[in-house]
Order: sequence, then structure tokens, then C-alpha cells
Amino acid sequence: MTKKNTETTDPARRDFLGTFTMAVAGGGVAAACVPFVSSMNPSSDVLERATVEIDLSGIPMGQEKTFPWQGKPVFVVHRTSAEIAEMGASPGGKEPVPDSQRVQKPEWLVVIGVCTHLGCVPNKTAQGWLCPCHGSVYDNSGRIISGPAPQNLHLPPYHFVSNDKILIGKSS
Amino acid sequence: MKKMIAWIDARFPLTHFIKHELTDYPTPRNLSYWWGFGFLAGFVLVIQLVTGIFLAMHYKADSNLAFDSVQHIMRDVNYGWLIRYLHSTGASAFFAVIYIHMARTLYYGSYRRPRELLWWTGQGLLLLMMATAFMGYLLPWGQMSYWGATVITNLFSATPIIGDQIVIWLRGGFAVDDPTLTRFFSMHYLFPFLISAAAVIHLIALHTVRSSNPSGLNFADKDNIPFHPYFTIKDLFGLGVFMLVYFGIVFFDPELVIDVTNNIPANPMQTPADIVPEWYFLPFYAILRAVPDLIGGVVAMALSVLIFAALPYLDRSRISGGAIYRPVYRTMFYVFIVDIFVLGYVGAHPPESDLKVVGEVATAIYFSTFLLLPFLSRWEEGYLLKIGLPVEVMEMTQKEIEEAR
Amino acid sequence: MNHFRLWALFASLACTMNGTALAAGDKDAILQRGAHVATEVCNACHSLKYLKYSDFLKLGFTKQQVDVMRGDRNMGDPLIAQMAPGDALTAFGIVPPDLSLMAKAREGGVGYIDSMITGFYTAANGNTDNHVFPGIKMPDILGISQADPASRKALLVKAKDVSTFLGWAADPMAEARENLGYAVMAYVFVLTVLLYLLKRKIWGRLEWSTPGLH
Repeated sequence: MTKKNTETTDPARRDFLGTFTMAVAGGGVAAACVPFVSSMNPSSDVLERATVEIDLSGIPMGQEKTFPWQGKPVFVVHRTSAEIAEMGASPGGKEPVPDSQRVQKPEWLVVIGVCTHLGCVPNKTAQGWLCPCHGSVYDNSGRIISGPAPQNLHLPPYHFVSNDKILIGKSS
Repeated sequence: MKKMIAWIDARFPLTHFIKHELTDYPTPRNLSYWWGFGFLAGFVLVIQLVTGIFLAMHYKADSNLAFDSVQHIMRDVNYGWLIRYLHSTGASAFFAVIYIHMARTLYYGSYRRPRELLWWTGQGLLLLMMATAFMGYLLPWGQMSYWGATVITNLFSATPIIGDQIVIWLRGGFAVDDPTLTRFFSMHYLFPFLISAAAVIHLIALHTVRSSNPSGLNFADKDNIPFHPYFTIKDLFGLGVFMLVYFGIVFFDPELVIDVTNNIPANPMQTPADIVPEWYFLPFYAILRAVPDLIGGVVAMALSVLIFAALPYLDRSRISGGAIYRPVYRTMFYVFIVDIFVLGYVGAHPPESDLKVVGEVATAIYFSTFLLLPFLSRWEEGYLLKIGLPVEVMEMTQKEIEEAR
Repeated sequence: MNHFRLWALFASLACTMNGTALAAGDKDAILQRGAHVATEVCNACHSLKYLKYSDFLKLGFTKQQVDVMRGDRNMGDPLIAQMAPGDALTAFGIVPPDLSLMAKAREGGVGYIDSMITGFYTAANGNTDNHVFPGIKMPDILGISQADPASRKALLVKAKDVSTFLGWAADPMAEARENLGYAVMAYVFVLTVLLYLLKRKIWGRLEWSTPGLH
């Protein structure tokens, strides 16, 4: 192998050009990772399903309907005036919140149908909901009354687009 | 840092490996840029692996969903269009790079003693690549995907006695359908790992026999230089030039390597007007069509690929330096390259009368190149030894002849 | 196909030099007009299933405009044909093909679509036929075979609009792709120059003991 004086001609010697080139190359490699990482984020069609429009006119008074939203069930209840009055009078259970803070229009209750205990989907009863997994009981405002669940049923962000249409996923 | 490396070195030959294979690995200093294509092939392999793994996260191997899922990747997935075009263009880039790599080997006679095994591992890699590309091409489930797979799986019906059973077995049905798609997907995911392993074997063989070089002479140690940094930087510069071409296609004309017909979903009830394989299979496809008999055509096509493996024995000249000092071999090389382009042209066009004759002649030239090589190379050796060669080449050749005895 | 691309390239270069290249705003206007034709005319029989109504927002339409286009369909719904496939089969003897990839699925792309929909003429026997696609089952929907020279001109513009729109529909990411492409090419070019300089520098440190080798 031919080598000049090793001190001055070590081929692997660090110099400005070498360091700079490697930095530029490194930047390129890092930038090349962006599309790949980004491709694992929700795609545009998934994001589109982040909001869902619900037509309320098909839900008769006193009935509940379940809609999928972001892969989770959302309970929409058309409450009777008796239920509204009863809920308005009740302070709630473990996590007391007035009913007026749980609804935008008193006749329409919109809650996420996932038990705040361990994520099961509660079943509708006359009084509210009963979770089949560990027996948590919710009232007709989605508030936790008894059982192991720590919190009231969560409220999704939503708003009324018109009198009988709501858009779930966006609060305004 | 030093302590850590010492700790590792006591348990694993890290420093030894880097020294032996990289910083001290002796490489002939006169290697031209033609020697950089093996490195490029490794780079494209990595691109194909990475993009393929990410595509598989969004692709659906189901005959009802496959075509739509590709459009989902192209339109909805973040940068899905980029990853898919990198992959589809990468397939073509892989073959382009490998074909140049092979042409270099042919021109400089790099397949000759003692590099036969190196050459054969390369042949194995080529076969694996072809299989992978063929199976991957079915996945978009377009018209060309479907009919390409139909035609190629039908080739196996040329097998004596059990031909039809083999075709049904390959397809998992009586026609190319869902079972074919799912098994091709599975294999298309598996084969790249076999290719990676085979590439490691190829490299081990290379580091055993060391690189050939364009002069054809053996410089022993005095003219070898360490691979790193000289050839790392040379290869990286070559990579830059390669990327300019590759990204040029990916970003500005990615459909160049996608047949328009493959943007129509597969329809088992209707064959498109002309079925054309991808450009990298065209010469072999032309050979298949040049033989008017099913079994004969299939055998000819298989032979046209496999015959390369016989080269170390077909080339009987012991004059070193591939085509450089060998006018006859050089002429044969250029005729062969032109012939491949002619075959490619024939393969891309419908088999009409004039072109059919051209295809048959080109096929004959293709095989006669190989068949004439033993005689021409031996005759050429005698002739060249008689008229005399440069002193170094004479010495090398005498040594070769001695060793061969 | 490659010939076609070369011509298209030359044509666009020529346009640029004549200063007639389309400004970005013009292009949006054409695409918007084309989108109207596609949804109001083509979509009656043809699906454009890889397009969603929300995709029109990318062409500069307002949400209100898209609401009118989609009627009672959802924003995220694909553009399925208004006519049921069975009815189409009875009417035309064939289910009209999906148009969302048409510009990529025919040799000639956008130009092919343009000349096909303007290629209708009245044959000697009084039937309508098509120069580009003889025996086509699609009716002369723009009425180009019956048009007088004055209305023909407007129809040609309409055809151009809708074929340009279908070009966009087949490859909505083209603009993003090319924009990213310029940046990537510039970067790779700079990197390659740097690597070349570094290569020369490193190899410059080498002495050649065998003259004439390099």
C-alpha cells in the first residue's frame, strides 16, 4: 500500500469539506425519514371520519340510537319531558354535575358510550345505562350513580348544524 | 467510548471486522465507476425493503380490495404516493443497476477463475430478483398484473405429465385469483430477505477472491488501496448521480415505468390488446415467443437466463483482462449487447411477420454467442499468444496456464 | 406514450416561451369548470369512485358550493354514478367505466379523453359514430356532432375543461409531487457536487506508483 507521510496524508482525516458533506448527507437521511413516519399517521380518509353528521329526525322521543364516531359508540337519546325534569332535579352521583352542563338542548343527550371504568359499552335501561362488565349504573344524563366507574360518561365535542342535525367531532 | 469498544471487541470481532472488511480491505486502485453498481444494487435493495414494509401497512392482498387499496395509498395515505412510486420505480432501478453490473462482469471477464462462485451467487440473486419482481407485479391487481401472472404461471404447463397440476398448484385455483394473490403477497414479502441473505453470501465470496479490475492484471499488494475512504467516497458520489436519475423519474415521470393498462382493474373475462411484460423481462419474453413451440419456448427462455452460469467454462481463453486485450471477445460482447436491445424491442411489440423474423434471428445470435465462445476463445488465445501481448499480460497468462495444469 | 410525453413537453415549453402558459389561477378556473361538467354530466352514468366530495375543496370550491354538488350525499362519500349499474346495462349494454383513473389508463391520457369526447360525427347512414373510438356505446353527450360552428367552439372548451379535470382526478397529488421534486433534486444535486469535491480531495492524497494506471 502506498502512503505518503501519514501525518499529512491520512485519507480519513477530518476536514471542513468532509464534515460539511457528512452533515448535509445526514440531514438528507433525517429528512427522508419524515414521509415514512408521517405515513403511519391517520390517512386523510380516516381524518375525514373524525367528524360525523347525525340526523336527529329519525330518533323518536324516549328512544336512544347509537352511532359510530372515531371507532367508538356515541349514544344519542331523545329524552322525554319527564326525564328532563327528573335529571334537572337530580344532582348526580359520584361526580355531581348539573344536567344543564351535560346537554346543549335538554331533549338531546349526546354521550360517548364507553364505560369510564374499563371501557365496556353500557346497555340502555329505563333509568339510564347499566354496564354489563362490572355493573356500573349511569342515569339518563350519563352520570355515574353506582358501581366501580370513577367518572360520568364522557361528552364528545359536537354542535347543532341545524335544528335536527348535529356534527360530532367539532364543538363549533 | 474506547472502553465500550474494547468491551465489545472482547466478545465480538467488531473492530476486526471493520478493519478487515473496510478500512484495511485491499481494493485495486484502478476500479472505474463501472465497479460501483454492486453498491448501488445494495442501496436499491434497502429502498425496496423499506418502502415495501411501509406499503404493506396499507396494502390489502384481496382481489376485491387490492386495486382500491393501491389508490388509497396514492390518494389518502400521507406521502403514500411517494412511497409507492419509490417502490415501483425502484423495481426498474434494481434491474437497470444489476444489468449494468452484469455487463461489466461480462466485459471484463470478471466471472473467470477464481470468481466462478461469486458469479454463481450473483446468478442466484438475479433469479430471486426476477421471482420477486414477477410476484410483486401481481399485487396492484391491474389488467397487466393479472394477465402477466396468468401467462407466466401457464409456462409451467410445459412440464411433462404433471404440467397442468403444477399450474393449478401454483395458482391455488383454476385461474389466477384470490389464492394466487395472497400467496404471491406472502412470497413477495419473504423473498427480499432471501435476497438480503444471498447478497451477504455474494459479499463473502467477493471478499475471499477480491475485486477484479479493469486492467485485467493482478497488482498484488503494491497497487491496492484500502476500501475506506477511497471507495466509500467514490461509491457515494456514484450514488449521488444515480439518485439524480432515480428521483427525476420518481418525481417527474413516475408512470414511465407503469404500463397504462395496469391502471385498469384486473378483469378475468377480458385480455388487453397487447400484453407486454415489464421492460426488464422483454428480451427473455422475445426469446419465449421466437420459438414456435410451447415447451421449446419455455426451455429456451429458461436457458437464456441460466446459460450465464456456464460462462466460466464456456470462455476457455486464459488471456487476462476480459475484453481489453481480446478483440474477438470484445466484438462478441458488443454484438451480444446490441442483440439484447434488439430482443427487447421485439419483445415490446406485437409479433408481426417482419418482427417475428427479427426475433428469431436475434434469438439465434443470442445462443450462438454462448455456443461459439468455447471455440472462438480458444482460437483467439492461440492467435494472441502468437502475435504477442504486452509483457505483463503475457506473464499473467503464462501463470494462468501453469496454474490451470 | 413516451412520444406523446415528449410532444407534451415541447408543447408546454413552446407555450411558456410564447407567454401563454397558464397562470395558477387560470388552471384552478379550468379545473373548477371541469369539475362542474364532471359532476353534472359525466357522473350521471360514470362513477368517479376514487374521488370524494371533500376533494373538491382542494380545487378552491367553498364548502357551500360542494354542499350543492353533493346533494344528500356525505362529504366523504365517493362519486358513485347517479344511474344504477343495472339500469346502465339495460340502456347501453355495458356498465360505463369508472373515470377517476381514466387519464392514466389510456395511451395519450388527457389528450385521448379530449379527442374522444369531441370525436363524435354523424356517419353517412345517419348514425352517430366516433373517430377515436369507432362503435363506442357512449352517446354524444356534448352534442358535438350536431353543433353548428359557433356552439362547437364553446363545446370544445367544455371538453378541454372536463378532460383537464379528469387528468387532475387521476393524479391529484401531481402538483405536490412536483413541488417536492424540485426541492429533492436541488438537494441531491448539491450533495452530489459536495461528494464529488470530497472524492477529488481524498483521491488527491494518493500517490500513483504505477504510471498510467489512472
